[in-house]
Amino acid sequence: MAQTTFPAETPAAASYQQARRRLPMARALDETRAFPVILIGPVLVFFIVWNVVPLLWLLGVSFYQYKLTSARPAEYIQFENFIDIWRASEVWGLLGRTLSFMLLTVGGATLLGMLLGFLFWGSGKLPGRRLALTLLFTPMVLPPVAVGTFYRLILDPIFGIANFFTEKLIGQRFDFLGNKDLAFATTIAVDVWMWTPFMILMTLAALASVPKAELEAAEIDQIPWLKRIWYVILPNGKFILMLGILLRTIDAFKTTDLPYLMTNGGPGNTTEFVGLSLYRTGFEAFQMGEASALAIITLLIAIAFASIYLYVLSYRETRAQLQ
Amino acid sequence: MADIRVEHLTKTFGALRAVDDVSFAFPSGKVTCLLGPSGCGKTTLMRIIAGLEAQTAGAVYFGDHDVSRLSPSKRNIGMVFQYPVVYRGISVYRNIELPLQSMKLSRSERIRRVDEAIYLMGLTASAAQDVSKLDNGTRQKVAVAREVARQPQFILFDEPITNVDAASKLQLKRSLKELTRSLSQTIIYVTHDQTEAMTLADQIALMEEGKIVQCAPPRELYNHPADRFGGWFLGNPGMVFFTAALSGTDGARALASPLFPAPIAVSGATGEASDVTIGIRPEHIRLSADPLPGSVPAQVDRKTVQIGGQYLVALTVDGLANHGFKAKVAPSVGERLPASGPVHVALPLDQVSLFDAAGNRIAATLRPAGAPNRAQ
Repeated sequence: MAQTTFPAETPAAASYQQARRRLPMARALDETRAFPVILIGPVLVFFIVWNVVPLLWLLGVSFYQYKLTSARPAEYIQFENFIDIWRASEVWGLLGRTLSFMLLTVGGATLLGMLLGFLFWGSGKLPGRRLALTLLFTPMVLPPVAVGTFYRLILDPIFGIANFFTEKLIGQRFDFLGNKDLAFATTIAVDVWMWTPFMILMTLAALASVPKAELEAAEIDQIPWLKRIWYVILPNGKFILMLGILLRTIDAFKTTDLPYLMTNGGPGNTTEFVGLSLYRTGFEAFQMGEASALAIITLLIAIAFASIYLYVLSYRETRAQLQ
Repeated sequence: MADIRVEHLTKTFGALRAVDDVSFAFPSGKVTCLLGPSGCGKTTLMRIIAGLEAQTAGAVYFGDHDVSRLSPSKRNIGMVFQYPVVYRGISVYRNIELPLQSMKLSRSERIRRVDEAIYLMGLTASAAQDVSKLDNGTRQKVAVAREVARQPQFILFDEPITNVDAASKLQLKRSLKELTRSLSQTIIYVTHDQTEAMTLADQIALMEEGKIVQCAPPRELYNHPADRFGGWFLGNPGMVFFTAALSGTDGARALASPLFPAPIAVSGATGEASDVTIGIRPEHIRLSADPLPGSVPAQVDRKTVQIGGQYLVALTVDGLANHGFKAKVAPSVGERLPASGPVHVALPLDQVSLFDAAGNRIAATLRPAGAPNRAQ
């Protein structure tokens, strides 16, 4: 490695020599070829220990009939667990329900988040904006266990505050979490309430990435608002927005805690999604082989979603460059 | 066609006065360049005129209409930004057409305007291309064409050539020159590049520390700066300055300096006699290996060749307070001068400017002592 040299008597030379004397170990480390490996090593070890090994273990277990509470040793059954899942109609129902939940919560949070994000973006000079934003972000920073518990209390058919208002307003009480026609929609509404702030944040970040000159030019050119969004804001902010949607999609697909705390998957299985089903199969029924196979399928679906998003983004960019 | 007037316009950012009580009229149908060093307030002034920045005090008039409180979209102006702004994902043609779609024009009128703008900016070959594929220079042409097609009452340019590559810069400058001539529209053009301003402007408004210090046609501004700042800022290098003693009373003034072999008669200067500053453009200084009329001996310290073959000669003259200065001479003259050694230097009196202690130009005529005063 080429060393920096300074004329002997300059202040820079004195400072450099002082730094050399003070940090001989750091300098030696900095100059070694192993330095990049040393930097990346801990992360790599962490990734292997906490991600790769458990994933391989999970993959291995998915080929076994393995019940934790059984005295029988684990039996290698090849793809039997996957075949059982493929044939089980309730698993398809579960996946369909989870996908519906995912589409509706992500769609709802995205639309609301974008709308509120635009409103907040245009209110830069309004007093109290910062406080309003902080309050608006509160649902996102609350632990899901708190949200689930609060909403169980708020929506309680007998002493919940929501029913106090519905009775006052329309003279009727609702069992939001116990009625099979309402429970699914209520769970979606709570999830949207909880994650809309995240999409507001992503929308604000996307809007902040739009060059000021482009917005000012569109204003001077009297471009209508919808066209401004399409031709100015989306081309600049779509990567951040899509990243937000991708993260929310993956998160919504594996939602477990909120339905578990609010409805425990019920009534019946109307609010039981993949995450909760996995938990029950693994830690209530202790069917580790079957749970692992379902987890692998869930992982593949999540990877497929991520790939689709990335493909769509890169395809559009590539197409624009080729044209 | 209306003019743009600003009256007592002030803009402050905290303690900084970016625009300081500016009252000025940009004449209709002319290209006015706002020229000045970075941070002098020229872009802020333009942004206030465009409505993109709110003034702290003062008013902006388009003709007789006070537009100070109108939003940019309601001011019917066009603006070309420093950063080439194009609407991405669509063709050059669609880019130019997009603002026209919300103007309730007939389809034939829209097509006519777009075609005309494309022709004017020389974009015919790339009209169907996606703007994402274009280089910055062509993108800036698209941005200009878009504003031209809208036919706003004024067009504002905010350093439009700064962010394009060197090759495109020249081409874009040529296109803008042709465009401004053919449009005969009220145009304000902000730049810190004096060559650009000299090339494009009908008049240049020179700015310093938030104020317009002088406004004049390019040649006049260059040859007769109103103050030392104008002399220093314009030219490459700028005017060179020397202190000199102005003595005598009104009607019989004399200027003495080691740069003149004898005192110079000064007419027109009024007020008390004092030290003044002589200013002259480096290219107006005459150098010769042999004595010239009105020359004094000088010493060449070094000479360097500049772009275009001109020589920049560093000189010293005995007895001169600030001692060293630079002169710019033609290749034919420079080649004959020694790399170092004695020469003769003369300041043509008709090219010399006088500035008072505050740095303001003194309107005076200089002539060799004993020569008839033609100014009388």
